[in-house]
Amino acid sequence: MSSSDTVIRARNLGKAYQLYANRSEWSKQVLLGAFHTYYRSFWALKDVTFEVKRGESVALIGRNGCGKSTLLQVICGILRPTRGELWVKGRIAPVLALGSTFDLESTGRENVMIGGAVLGMRRPEVLAKFDSIVDFAGVGEFIDQPIKHYSTGMRARLAFALCAHLEADILIVDEALAVGDAAFQRKCMDWIEGFREHGTLLFVSHAKADVMRLCRRAIWIDDGRIREDGKPVDVVRSYARAMETEPDDMKRFTAA
Amino acid sequence: MLHIVDGEVVVTEKRGAPTRLLRWFGEPMRSAWHHRDLIMAILRRELNERFKGSMAGWVWAIVAPFLALATYTIAFSGVVKLPNQVEAASQFDYALFIFGGLIAYSFFSEMAFRGPSLLHEYAHFIKQTMFPAEMLPIISTLRATVYVLIGLVVMLAAQIALTGTIHWTLVLLPLWLVPFLAFLIGMTWFLSALGAFTRDAAYLMMTLAPILMFATPVFWSIDGFSPNVRLLMYLNPLTGFIEIIRHLTVLGTLPRLPVVAWTLLLSLVSFYFGFWFFRRQRDRIADVI
Repeated sequence: MSSSDTVIRARNLGKAYQLYANRSEWSKQVLLGAFHTYYRSFWALKDVTFEVKRGESVALIGRNGCGKSTLLQVICGILRPTRGELWVKGRIAPVLALGSTFDLESTGRENVMIGGAVLGMRRPEVLAKFDSIVDFAGVGEFIDQPIKHYSTGMRARLAFALCAHLEADILIVDEALAVGDAAFQRKCMDWIEGFREHGTLLFVSHAKADVMRLCRRAIWIDDGRIREDGKPVDVVRSYARAMETEPDDMKRFTAA
Repeated sequence: MLHIVDGEVVVTEKRGAPTRLLRWFGEPMRSAWHHRDLIMAILRRELNERFKGSMAGWVWAIVAPFLALATYTIAFSGVVKLPNQVEAASQFDYALFIFGGLIAYSFFSEMAFRGPSLLHEYAHFIKQTMFPAEMLPIISTLRATVYVLIGLVVMLAAQIALTGTIHWTLVLLPLWLVPFLAFLIGMTWFLSALGAFTRDAAYLMMTLAPILMFATPVFWSIDGFSPNVRLLMYLNPLTGFIEIIRHLTVLGTLPRLPVVAWTLLLSLVSFYFGFWFFRRQRDRIADVI
């Protein structure tokens, strides 16, 4: 086992998506999967091994489709890895695709109650923090309106406010903050900076400045594998150099 | 804490086969208890929508079963013999008899219709968050239970008002409701997982459910048939459940023990098969929805 400081441990982690020629193959797999395989595998994550210790802040960088988002979803427990070992300790706040998980017909209040429960908060906990969540989001009286009347920015605000009140051990941030306005982005960044003092941060961004500012370590993921793991300055530099020299790979979304 | 090796969740404590088996059988209940706040939050939201979204709210939920009951009463008020060859005690018994069957049947058909599209309804939750999708069939079955209970209350109120009788066997109603819930939750687990992959499941249920209504003793009783045909009819899982609820509410007699045992067996099989099937498909569901 690893030392007690480790909060995330991934060993030879791989995630394969099942690609089907059409929907009927899909149903066949469900009903007859024990006898025959009706899909081809696409390995979005091939072989990822790393450890994150408590209090570390790690940036994940890489091109589109390299497996960053898949890796985050696997760590959050949304997707189950196909092979390898994953070990995660503590409550996770997933700031992924902010606001897109809300139910459009429900009010902000109902979505906070449901979202809080999904993230593992008990009802009294959500109720106690409710006013503070609404304040942080700054949505005011809109809290009792259906989410469909919210702007994209307001949805993101409410979703981030909920994650911020989770008292999580691990904060996972995908390129999700881009939707808010500058003032709200700064508020989030400030909050994340404060969070780093006691929590663990996994951060995906294409913005070099944010990576340098928030993280003490960067992992470059390329084609489902870790290509470089080290100080943000070094990793970002070699990543930028590779972007200039290596052409955009047209075949990377093709199953092997 | 999350610990997964090669796609399997690791259970740290080492235990023997009997304990593992017990664990597996207890898993649905443990999981539902763990997610109780989520179940209640969504249930509350759905009932709010149902009852606050309309001006008259709860009135509709009561008016609908009441109107149905009134219609049957008028339509069947001349019938003096119950379909199970028992003399009707009053002219209203036949209507109550049918209504009891209808409550059970509409519970089933609600789940049969909704099951296949259930996961599509909640796609935004399942796709993006660590949402326990296997709670959705439980939630929607509980939601339907609310309507069923309203229907039952209307029926019993009508029974008291019209015939002036109420039977002590009512206290045994949980013995009907709990296995029926288990049966329907299991069925919905299976249908919703299947419906996530193919629309055929929805079309199949839309075709089957109306036909099944006439193959199910909703408007008649199986007692008029020969013993062999009767045995065949118990293959329809609804037959037993409908018989039991009639015994407990309208007739005020104890249901036959073999029938109770049979429905109990059916619900256990449905519940655990549905759970097993859903769990097996769950990861694929997140990819396909």
